[in-house]
Amino acid sequence: MEMIYQLEHVNKTYKKGKVVANQDISLDIQQGEILGLLGPNGAGKSTLIKQMVGHLAPSSGTVRYRGASVQTQTKRVAQEVAYYSQEPHALTSLKTWEALYFTGRLRGLTKESARKQTEELLERFGMQDLRHKLLKNVSGGQKRLIGIGTCLIGYSPVMILDEPTNELDPKKRRLVWDLIQERNRQGVTVILVTHNVLEAEQVVDKVAVVNHGRLLAIDHVSVLKQRVDQRMKLEITTSLGESEHVSQCLSALGQWTQIGENRIRTLIEKQDASYAIEFLSKHHLPIQEYSLVPPNLEDVYFHIDDEQHKPDQAEVV
Amino acid sequence: MEQLKPSIQSQNTQLQEAVILQGHEQQSLIQRRITEWLILARIQFTIIREAWVWIFIMACMFPLTTLLFLKFFTVDPTPAVMTRIITGNMLFGLIVMGLNSMAQEISWQKHQGHFTYYSSLPIAKVNFIFANLLRGLIMSVPSFIILAMIGQLAYGIQFHYSWGLVPVLLLTVFSVVGAGVLIGFWSPNHQLTNMLVQALMMFISFLTPVMVDMDQLPAILQWSAYIFPTTYAAAAMREVLISGWSGSVAWNTFALLLFSLISIILILKKVDWRVDK
Repeated sequence: MEMIYQLEHVNKTYKKGKVVANQDISLDIQQGEILGLLGPNGAGKSTLIKQMVGHLAPSSGTVRYRGASVQTQTKRVAQEVAYYSQEPHALTSLKTWEALYFTGRLRGLTKESARKQTEELLERFGMQDLRHKLLKNVSGGQKRLIGIGTCLIGYSPVMILDEPTNELDPKKRRLVWDLIQERNRQGVTVILVTHNVLEAEQVVDKVAVVNHGRLLAIDHVSVLKQRVDQRMKLEITTSLGESEHVSQCLSALGQWTQIGENRIRTLIEKQDASYAIEFLSKHHLPIQEYSLVPPNLEDVYFHIDDEQHKPDQAEVV
Repeated sequence: MEQLKPSIQSQNTQLQEAVILQGHEQQSLIQRRITEWLILARIQFTIIREAWVWIFIMACMFPLTTLLFLKFFTVDPTPAVMTRIITGNMLFGLIVMGLNSMAQEISWQKHQGHFTYYSSLPIAKVNFIFANLLRGLIMSVPSFIILAMIGQLAYGIQFHYSWGLVPVLLLTVFSVVGAGVLIGFWSPNHQLTNMLVQALMMFISFLTPVMVDMDQLPAILQWSAYIFPTTYAAAAMREVLISGWSGSVAWNTFALLLFSLISIILILKKVDWRVDK
């Protein structure tokens, strides 16, 4: 399998090194993979992919695309890598079909192919009736779909998608994941940034966990899940304002993570599960409900993040 | 979930590339660039198609206010003065478009994040700029024509329309567009772009012989005027409109061509819209 991307000790800093966006990131992406970049807001994921598409130059280190530095072949990267960003749409004055058609033509499609693919995408998106509507007059979700469509049109061999399912309803999210998988079946390498860990788990081959600008882990989903294989996830909904108190009372069970206003979570060893339930029922804590379930990829992500020490640098974006 | 994932390990690379390249146009580089420019120009045209009435109204405003200015503040102007003022204003409109509007448009698109879309596509930067320029021309040519008509109808000035006007007009715009594009690309924020282009535009419009004769300028500005394309544009525009193509127009047009080439070289060499250091 051909190596599509090779990142070697990539660092990206701003303000003379005071602001660190990416720190010593090294990873390989092979042809045909779907790699999910996971991490909280401001973790440095978008900065990383901007360097991969050549929109940002690394402060040090190398980003290689098919063996050569991205910075020396930005035109080739633009030719072969379709990039969907979170930036506002540049095509809002266009009709929905025009946004797709013109993008296809700019990617080098013939008129016939661009028309055909535009029609196929509008049909898949269920937007045939909106074909003559200006992009600025359709809903946020529909705008997103057209944005993703501009990545799909032209069959680029690599797709990089930054939060492709943000603002989409569940049906449209499913559609986007299906389209990504379909393209992957045709050999397209996909790199996607997402917060939607649970949905991504069903699509991605490999996961890279990024936080504080660092790559915390990269491996196949199944391998990463083995890290928490012997554990169970205990999630508790407390009475309003009681989550801190409850997590202090239950500190013996593990390190608690706040996941909502009145929701906390921890991972416990499987053999401790019955003890934990007994503990909860004995102590009269302000708990509304609790659940004990096997961990998913999201828990793996939290676990990896918890394991890491915070960076020494003062400021991280 | 892993088991459900499609296995692509055995797929043949050549087959994949054949699937991916299906439907792509086989063109020479020049054909490809022309097609690309036409598509980018169509995209730019869509920006003005919704607001063409307002664009026409705004295009009329500039010449109409110029007309009022002439009527109120000039007492018995000679045809030479009227010609100077009207051609100066015609030129001013082109400079506004080539420098001010282009800088602001590029800067706005950059800071709005629109470059992310365009720079992700396999298109030439210069095509993107010239497509923007076409939109600017479409928006400014009406005021150019209306001013010429006002000059003829209201003040009895006879303009000489020849094909020579076309290269003079285009090269005038091209010669200043490089500065506009550089400011738009390099400016760290949109406010600074506005201030920079306003200052530069005022300088090259009012402190070079665009609105006044060369001998009306102080000695130092008479010298510095030679480094600005507007000096040659004003001379060429005035002469081609008054007496048609001549050796002097050709010389000034040649100077504009040099400035235009410098503009294009600066854009190609100094502006990198993909890699942000």
